[in-house]
Amino acid sequence: MQGRLSAWLVKHGLIHRSLGFDYQGIETLQIKPKDWHSIAVILYVYGYNYLRSQCAYDVAPGGLLASVYHLTRIEYGVDQPEEVCIKVFASRRNPRIPSVFWVWKSVDFQERESYDMLGISYDNHPRLKRILMPESWIGWPLRKDYIAPNFYEIQDAH
Amino acid sequence: MAATSTYMASTNFSMLGWRGSKRELRKRSVFSVSSQQAEVEEQAKTEKATEVNDAKQQAKATTPLRPVEPQVNVKSKNMGREYGGQWLSSATRHVRIYAAYIDPETCEFDQTQMDKLTLILDPTDEFVWTDETCNKVYSYFQELVDHYEGAPLTEYTLRLIGSDIEHYIRKLLYEGEIQYNMNARMLNFSMGKPRIGFNYNEGQIQDVQ
Repeated sequence: MQGRLSAWLVKHGLIHRSLGFDYQGIETLQIKPKDWHSIAVILYVYGYNYLRSQCAYDVAPGGLLASVYHLTRIEYGVDQPEEVCIKVFASRRNPRIPSVFWVWKSVDFQERESYDMLGISYDNHPRLKRILMPESWIGWPLRKDYIAPNFYEIQDAH
Repeated sequence: MAATSTYMASTNFSMLGWRGSKRELRKRSVFSVSSQQAEVEEQAKTEKATEVNDAKQQAKATTPLRPVEPQVNVKSKNMGREYGGQWLSSATRHVRIYAAYIDPETCEFDQTQMDKLTLILDPTDEFVWTDETCNKVYSYFQELVDHYEGAPLTEYTLRLIGSDIEHYIRKLLYEGEIQYNMNARMLNFSMGKPRIGFNYNEGQIQDVQ
């Protein structure tokens, strides 16, 4: 089962793997981290001018970290815009994924949040630092192997 | 005796250098003499007239206190931008730790002296403190400071220390060594409702039958 974008990428010799379709029928592709920046530029030129959301998750304990991009093609007079979901997987030891900040500027804070929560370091991001947690925080809170420190919180006050 | 106490531990580390943008705590092995001097500074409220300066009458098997000697002419540095514009602290209800020197009488806050940590114990007077229990907390603070020697001087480390002291205060409360101050301004029992005949060691595991 191959979507339209996957067929187009195959036609132009771009390496990817099709992950099927999600529950809304949106095509999902996997792209290697080293190809991701060039393919992001190609997708922008192709017409995906809107990055709807970027998120990241921890796939499995001890497994890979994933960074997910939802792209939309916004045009005049279209009520069903073309959408695609890109997943980029990185190893837990050295999670490095090229940033697409210079392609879609709206990914700025979202990549910072992914960095903050999962420790994926986005290359070429202009100001990659923690956004939610304090800057001196140690550890990546949304990883599955994260152990929360035993900080004192008031729980019994009434 | 309800006292707001400040205690300054002379830490074993000092800010000797800036490595990149990270602040490092380094062992002050050269100046170990100055870190052995002991004194407790207590700032009492109005009902408490005398200051307590005792480092000798501590319980055994605790870390001896090595407080900083009091300074004169301490000035608030107003946390201006020329000093970095920020200060490091860990503030929870009963424990406030600042990486600064705070004068116990005038409350001048010199946050440029980042080689010292100042502990303000229970500023809202939730518990009834005696000198003995104060000193227990102080020596535990000193022990923790020694334990975290070499760690980076960040809010995270200070919060680890502050949380450990809070847990220690909770343990003191559960063991009955300190009590709630019933004349406190807010009586909301932030470490659990008062109980009678409750032993921390026995009652720790309470499963529903």
